[in-house]
Amino acid sequence: MKGIDFTETSPIITMRQVWKYYDLGANRIPALRGVDLMIDRGEFVAVWGPSGSGKSTLCNLMGLIDDASDGYIELVGREVRQLSDDQMSEFRNKTIGIVFQHFNLIPVLSALENIMLPLQIQGISAKEAEKKATAWMREVGLGDYTEQRPDKLSGGQRQRVAIARAMVTDPSLVIADEPTANLDSENARKIIDLMREINMLKGTTFIFSTHDQRLLGRVRRHVQLLDGMVVEDKRL
Amino acid sequence: MSAWVKIAIRNIIKNKRRSLYTIIAIALGFAAVNIFGGYTEYMFTSLKNAFIYNYANGHLNIFKKGYLEEGKLDPTRFLIKDKELEAIKEICKGDPRILLATPKLEVTGLVSNGKVSTIFFANARVPSDTEFIRAKSSGMLAKLKLFDGKKLEDEVPSAVGFSSGLARKLAMRIGDTGNLMAPTVEGMINAVDIDLYQTFESPMAELNDKLIDMNLKLAQNLYDTTSVGSITVLLSETDLTNKARAYLLGEFNRTGLEMEVKTWEEMSPFYVKVRDMFDVIFIFVFVIVFVIVVMSVVNTVSMSILERTREIGTLRALGLKRAGVVNLFVIESLLMSVAGSLLGLVMTLIVWYAIKVTEPTWVPPQITRAVPLEVFLVPGYLAGSFFSLIVLSALAAVAPARRAAYEKSIVDDLGYV
Repeated sequence: MKGIDFTETSPIITMRQVWKYYDLGANRIPALRGVDLMIDRGEFVAVWGPSGSGKSTLCNLMGLIDDASDGYIELVGREVRQLSDDQMSEFRNKTIGIVFQHFNLIPVLSALENIMLPLQIQGISAKEAEKKATAWMREVGLGDYTEQRPDKLSGGQRQRVAIARAMVTDPSLVIADEPTANLDSENARKIIDLMREINMLKGTTFIFSTHDQRLLGRVRRHVQLLDGMVVEDKRL
Repeated sequence: MSAWVKIAIRNIIKNKRRSLYTIIAIALGFAAVNIFGGYTEYMFTSLKNAFIYNYANGHLNIFKKGYLEEGKLDPTRFLIKDKELEAIKEICKGDPRILLATPKLEVTGLVSNGKVSTIFFANARVPSDTEFIRAKSSGMLAKLKLFDGKKLEDEVPSAVGFSSGLARKLAMRIGDTGNLMAPTVEGMINAVDIDLYQTFESPMAELNDKLIDMNLKLAQNLYDTTSVGSITVLLSETDLTNKARAYLLGEFNRTGLEMEVKTWEEMSPFYVKVRDMFDVIFIFVFVIVFVIVVMSVVNTVSMSILERTREIGTLRALGLKRAGVVNLFVIESLLMSVAGSLLGLVMTLIVWYAIKVTEPTWVPPQITRAVPLEVFLVPGYLAGSFFSLIVLSALAAVAPARRAAYEKSIVDDLGYV
């Protein structure tokens, strides 16, 4: 997005006293309680904690697919509460890449067409989109699978397509909510390694959530959540 | 191809059965409206052309002013005299739209076979002029045989045609003779001999035992007059009726002729009533059929949205705006309605062709003879239904798509199982 006023040294994400409540009947359940967090550009961060700790909620807020109940959130120099819904959509499309736990590929599109999608949402021509998407297919090691539909791909292959889709717009930030939850341990490791490799080569900031502590050895920083609060924020 | 059209087409194909049912529903709606519309158009055109051409009533009828209100009681007061007739014919010659202006005289009296007699009503015309008007009939009506026996001839004034019921009533057959009796315009009783040349079916069943077609000369002879009751005007095209009437009225005003001109519509209340009735029926059919089609589309789109809730959440997460989600489903609906309309067009053409080839007949109300049944292809109805279905299908998709795009959150959509 044009006119973004931030410097290379500014944090890419700033969260101050962020609260998120969910209304369940008569009860108001806090999923996040006063979270303070800053993520710098180029970091490779794991957000981990047990089920119900608020990891997915935190990822949803950072990915702009949900709104905080209270608090301040700044993403890539923009305060998100000032954005309209259409502006948020545009911001997500151009600046944030999202990788989902369940891959969420469009079933009627081929692997290549799935990767092209964010570019076509931007309005980029099919020809240009195909060129970029093909490059990313090769980058994630799936150059021979361009025409395959998602139901013909393994879990690991689908997640690679999802990562390529998240990266095709050259985002500043990639949010991955439990990207390895539906993969076996070997594929889980490979996916994390792929994301780390992209992080090192392209400088893209990666934030992923996980409940699997075994993956923490592959990250330089991990943020531990418990009951909606940050209980540990460790840089290695 | 646009990604959205691609997604729409592939989702239509993915859910083959559901898509097919919706497309067939649209096609049947399209075909129903156009076949019924084509049938009503055939009815209107046939009634109109039968009145104007087959029954030789022409496009316009010229009467002396007041004839229609008071002429039934005292027709002799409103007869058009020789000089007036000649003046009117000259005026008609001045307009190239007018093909023919022919005099007519309505007569009533008694008809007898020599043993028994009964009342009759007659339209007395110039036979060759009647044939000229009938020859302008087109389509399947042109093939309609209007009488049994021989044509009436200008040179044989005694030749008459009886309605079939009248012939049966008097036990007369073609070739038999009889006589007509009526008071003259002066009030004296007069009689003329007649030769039965033909029998025909009356356009109205109630008059089938009373009607006679006769030569104008015979009627003038019977009434002992050279005057006529009205003048029938035939135009080159029916659409020119109102303009031709305006011309005639203008000329009558200019020349001081006290005449009134009635159009074929004004002279045929049956046509107007049938047309109005079918117009209302058509509207009902149109609304009912299209409501069914719209409900079918709404149901299909709603089911599609429900099944693709997570997909909607994903697209929104990738940056597709809310309006983009709506457009996605509107495109899908539009594609189905185009496919359905095209299939409907094929169905319509099949029915039209089948009727054209088999040439079925039927006996309409108040008609005593079988007439051809046709369905017309009306470009206005075809285009109108196509356009209406496209628009309605698009609108039918908007409401459920808007609910999906605007009322639900991305998180809820992504979490949908």
